[in-house]
Amino acid sequence: MTKRRMFLRMITASLLRRRSRMMIALLSIGIGATILAGLVTIYVDVPRQMGAQFRSYGANMLLLPKEGAALNRDQLAGVLETIPQDELIGATPYRYVRLDMTSRQQSFTAAGTDFSQVPKTSPYFSIEGAYPENTREVLVGKNIADNIGVKTGSTMELTYQPTDSGEQASPEESRTPNAELAGSAEGFGGGTVYVTVKLDGQAAIASLEIDAGTQTPEYGGRAAEDDNFLKQFIGKTLPLALGEDVDALSGATVTSEAVVQAVNTARKTEKAARPQTLNFTVTGILTTGGEEEDYVFLSLDDMKTLTGSEQLDVVELSVSASAEQLEAYAAAISDEHDTVQARLVKRVTRSEASVLEKLTALVFLVTLVVLLLTMICVSTTMMAVVSERRREIGLRKALGASDGSIRAEFLGEGLFLGLLGGILGGILGFVFAQVVSVNVFGSSITFQPLLLPITMIISMLIAALSCLLPIKRAVAIDPAIVLKGE
Amino acid sequence: MLFRMIRGVLFHQKGKMLLIALTIALGASLATGMLNVVLGVEEKVNKELKNYGANIVVKPKDSSLLSDIYDVGEGAELNTAYLREDELGKLKTIFWAFNIVDFTPFLDTQVTLPDGGTAGMTGSWFNHHLDLPTGESLDAGIVGMRSWWDITEGRWLDEKDENASGEVIAGALLAQRQGWHAGDVIHLKASHGEKDVTIAGIFDAGGDEDEQIYATLDLVQALTDRENKVASIEVSALTTPDNELARRAAKNPAALSSRDYETWYCTAYVSAICYQIQEVITGSVASAVRKVAESEGTILDKTKLLMILITALSLVGSALGISNLVTASVMERSKEIGLLKAIGAKDRSITGVVMTEILITALLGFAAGYLLGFGFAQLIGQSVFGSSIDMDPKVAPIVAGLIALVTIAGSLPAIRMVLRLRPAEVLHGG
Repeated sequence: MTKRRMFLRMITASLLRRRSRMMIALLSIGIGATILAGLVTIYVDVPRQMGAQFRSYGANMLLLPKEGAALNRDQLAGVLETIPQDELIGATPYRYVRLDMTSRQQSFTAAGTDFSQVPKTSPYFSIEGAYPENTREVLVGKNIADNIGVKTGSTMELTYQPTDSGEQASPEESRTPNAELAGSAEGFGGGTVYVTVKLDGQAAIASLEIDAGTQTPEYGGRAAEDDNFLKQFIGKTLPLALGEDVDALSGATVTSEAVVQAVNTARKTEKAARPQTLNFTVTGILTTGGEEEDYVFLSLDDMKTLTGSEQLDVVELSVSASAEQLEAYAAAISDEHDTVQARLVKRVTRSEASVLEKLTALVFLVTLVVLLLTMICVSTTMMAVVSERRREIGLRKALGASDGSIRAEFLGEGLFLGLLGGILGGILGFVFAQVVSVNVFGSSITFQPLLLPITMIISMLIAALSCLLPIKRAVAIDPAIVLKGE
Repeated sequence: MLFRMIRGVLFHQKGKMLLIALTIALGASLATGMLNVVLGVEEKVNKELKNYGANIVVKPKDSSLLSDIYDVGEGAELNTAYLREDELGKLKTIFWAFNIVDFTPFLDTQVTLPDGGTAGMTGSWFNHHLDLPTGESLDAGIVGMRSWWDITEGRWLDEKDENASGEVIAGALLAQRQGWHAGDVIHLKASHGEKDVTIAGIFDAGGDEDEQIYATLDLVQALTDRENKVASIEVSALTTPDNELARRAAKNPAALSSRDYETWYCTAYVSAICYQIQEVITGSVASAVRKVAESEGTILDKTKLLMILITALSLVGSALGISNLVTASVMERSKEIGLLKAIGAKDRSITGVVMTEILITALLGFAAGYLLGFGFAQLIGQSVFGSSIDMDPKVAPIVAGLIALVTIAGSLPAIRMVLRLRPAEVLHGG
């Protein structure tokens, strides 16, 4: 008991009385530990942080409908569950159609999209003006704007002209799972009845909307609202027969016939819709240096109003993950869903992987070199501090202290300094890493709880090791020579 | 006498002085290595980012908006404006010629396939050898600019091969649909000619190109009777990230003041390079591909800032390490300094002796450390980027100044402390 107390007192006394020297030793271990903790934290976090920066190249994964299948917004949420939320930076749906600007007899490619997602997947879009926030607003590519002379605030009238509506529906079309179909047929008194049909995953009718505005309200016009009439269609597969699958609405046989015919001949929406014209306000002009400058961008809601369909051509995803992980997600999505396939944008993923790999290697090597040199610096300082005490060691030996007890004391001192410096450095290092992360990447860094004990252990090891060598030399020398000086 | 004392210390206290020299050398090498890496990293990372492809696209001024805006079918030869192939070499004569890494022309058309279907066919350079008026020569083309393409079968088209103009490479999707394999001979028919060509390879680009055929520019020019004409040029250039001036200039260079104009013109902003390209290529509009140019700027800035902060940390670390050791070693010599004082040495001369010793040691340490640091920089350059890092002449004076400052700053307080001690106490063994 007393022996241990003596040991502790000797260590604390030496630390307290030789404050300036011990401060030097502590400072040097502290610096070493700070650099160790700071750099390792940065190194661990760099791939994630840099990866996020690389997302400025735009989408790295595309979701496409599988051949013969359709993709719509409702399915999207389910598909996106495959990718962890914190890795998914943005998911922008696109639907491309040709729209006519009748006043100028020109036609453009128009992209319906979700403007809240566009800046996330395409941060390189440079806009003069602003993104559209409401419906009936468009973003116009620079080439088009220059060509037809529109500016922010101008209005333009765009028309959707369905193509080849005279064709008959093909049997495949009415059996496409999740498809949206639209059809029309002549009803009572020569007025047209329009229907919109949505199919479910088994190609059975999931919902039916009827526009019978041209029919007599008291008779045929009821078809649109009569729940009992509408219910008969749900869950059935096309084609339907009046009288077998569906009973006619009483007093409106002609209209009922027209509805069934319209449903049976319904085609994919984009081929069957009616011409639609909407008036838009230009909110911004888009510059990208790419083909997007030849497009007009509008909201999906407007796109639905124009084409009558909610289908999507492609969804651009920006995912902050490594190339292997991306491949795994893509494979999982394509396997799990019957209608959706995921493809990687090779140009982006491949280049990102190679550049990121180099950057990580760079930070790794730099970290390694800095750590190595810092540790050597720390141990030389420790050695200098300890070897200064040769006289003390000699005196102790002369008084009868055993080599072992001297070694134990110095080691204890070294370990104590290492512990203190390690804790100090672990905390300062994290602060440094945080400063770097906030300044460089504008986001905070995650604390690695394991790093604190590791820093402490390494600091203690280095402190102890760098004490050992000078002590060994001091202990080996005859006390008389040491005490005499030189 | 001073000389003898210093020599005495240097030789008799070899061990301690060596330790100081070693620490200084390590600190100096760290500083040298890191500064060199930080100064060279922008260029290296910039080169790596060229993987993403061209950041500038050059098109004829009156180019084919027509086909996009009036919904005319592809293949209708509306595209009446072209750039001239013989002017391409001029790209390497602009002010920022050195920053132009690679470029390649494109000319596309529609061809009729043996089964009667049609496909897009693009003529380009692959590894086109170019002798410049300046006496330099380079190989430019899509082999370098489409680094993400995989050749899944066969090989890249080699323009140095004599038969190159009778060969094509085909996109993977198209080849799969048509049942083509490397080595097959197919008959292609275009607007102004037809030819039997050999499929040299099949490529997987992971994009629209997978539906196309790529051939030499000469072949496509011959098939479409558009001698010396190209439809667009893609340029890959090393650029400086845009700042406020560059953004203003990009809108209208003429609106700049003459001094701003000069600064802008003589900085490798993407807009300045575009402007200079327009000056040498007749009737052209060069525009930055923002997707690539913008992202490069962000990543370069971030990488550089990251490296600067790591360098700052390591510099502070090595500075504190050196000054610690110097302080420790001066304090250790309190007895000697006490003795000097006891025999009547003035404070100033003691300081002089001690400082001279330490500075000589520091000088030796710096020399060794500079060489070592050069080695570290090269190690990092070679293992990460596969090329050496240029030694910046600025680094040597910076590191030398830093070491001098750190050494003096580290030894002065210690000397002052020791000088304050009374000689009797020190010598007595306090």
